[in-house]
Amino acid sequence: METVEQFIFYVSQNSGYIWEQFYRHFLMAAYGVLFSAIFSIPLGILIAKYGKLSSWVLAIGSIIQTVPALGAMAVIMIAMGLGTNTVIVTLMLYSILPITQNTYVGMKEVDKNIVEAGFASGMTRFQLLRMVELPLAISVIMAGLRTALVIGIGIVAIGAFVGAGGLGAIILTGTNATNGTAIILAGAIPTALMAIIVDVFMGWIEKKLQPAKVDKPKAA
Amino acid sequence: MKDRIYKGTLMTILLIMLAGCSLPGLASTSSDTIKIGSAVTSETEILAEMLAIMIERETDAQTDIVSHLGSSIVQHQGMLRGDLDITSTRYTGTDLSGALGMDPITDPEEALEIVEREFQDQFNQTWGPTYGFDNTYTVAVTQEFADEHGIDTVSDLEPYSDDLTFGVDNSWINRKGDGYDGFQKMYFAFGKVYPMDIGLVYEAAATGSMDVVLAYSSDGRIKEFDLKVLEDDRNFFPPYDASPVVTNEILEEYPEIQDIMDRLHNQISTEQMQELNYNADVKLMNPRSVAQEFLEEHNYFEDAEMGDE
Repeated sequence: METVEQFIFYVSQNSGYIWEQFYRHFLMAAYGVLFSAIFSIPLGILIAKYGKLSSWVLAIGSIIQTVPALGAMAVIMIAMGLGTNTVIVTLMLYSILPITQNTYVGMKEVDKNIVEAGFASGMTRFQLLRMVELPLAISVIMAGLRTALVIGIGIVAIGAFVGAGGLGAIILTGTNATNGTAIILAGAIPTALMAIIVDVFMGWIEKKLQPAKVDKPKAA
Repeated sequence: MKDRIYKGTLMTILLIMLAGCSLPGLASTSSDTIKIGSAVTSETEILAEMLAIMIERETDAQTDIVSHLGSSIVQHQGMLRGDLDITSTRYTGTDLSGALGMDPITDPEEALEIVEREFQDQFNQTWGPTYGFDNTYTVAVTQEFADEHGIDTVSDLEPYSDDLTFGVDNSWINRKGDGYDGFQKMYFAFGKVYPMDIGLVYEAAATGSMDVVLAYSSDGRIKEFDLKVLEDDRNFFPPYDASPVVTNEILEEYPEIQDIMDRLHNQISTEQMQELNYNADVKLMNPRSVAQEFLEEHNYFEDAEMGDE
């Protein structure tokens, strides 16, 4: 009961601060995934075309995934310094696997007959990619971005250790206070909410993009 | 149609991201912003806020606090790379063994002299004058227990030591030099030793789960739980006097900072720091308000210039 009161007290006193950190937290996660997507999606397409590369690239992605985020951040910090850039770069690395893997799977799942039909109607390779393969794979690729972003929100919480702020900073303040449970909750609940909202929203986009599977080939 | 939805979504996401670029939070700060680093404890945050308030008051510079840095090494790295201009609280003992990699020194003045000299020579940084408090490890018991057995110093515990339980910080027990091994050599061994998170020892002592605990001297919970800090009569624990550290570049640019540090010199006693920590850790006050309140109470130490040479 006391914790609930303290929680309400803390949140009402610091609502501006919490909101600011919430926004900052979200932006860091979003940047990390976006920058990662810029090279991970092309990478996924590449390994789908040249199958020999795929096992290597995915293995490297998996290895990166096994490194604890705190350790990775500490190493990257030496090169990148304190602050948000370190967190964003760390997040980029952790997003490689989910995005690349999903792009790879999405591209592989495209019906070969459709691609051949496109090829037969005189489409160039780039046209095939842009008008046939990508639209068919996009919902699977989105699923990868969704996974990466949800994982990312968790990783950004650790970023407070390297001076990047975010909701992790509030959680750390709470661990340091005597009766800090309320403060920890004030940091942890928004973090969890953010992950849930992002998951639902990205899931919605994913669904929206899915029917393309039926429509698109006819149009093409 | 679907194509348009997906292009539209992508464009919106991109726009939000680009808008984010110019946000003060994530964008790199301008060059006349002084960046002050602070660690995870409330103490360092309160002092960082104090420095920030004073600097903004005395100079035309803006300040930016980089808080919750993982360790003194992270702070040190940040200073070396130029990500930080000031670190609010550095402890002589910590940086002697951390940044400088030297053996612990138990004489406070000698320790201070060494860090002052070495930071100037090796890193081109100025180790500021001490705030007046320290945050060393101290042995504490409940006031009740101390009164009952007439205990003032650590040595006074010796006759009872076999029956006493001792709650200590996880990281202390295996420390070389000033850890438990060294403690046993200098003093005596306790009946049973329980390593735990440092945040738990205060309550453990207050509730009677532990008879004796190893506490941080400036922690507000010493006051909250009415613990008695015992005198380290054989000078075992190295000093952890707190000072700000400033890069020489920023000192040249803003000489006022030296003046601010001088004014804060010896103004905050360990008891006072306990109280400030208490406000933040127990009463859950915002570090900024704690700092503001304290400075207002003392008139921003404007008269201090006269008193301290």
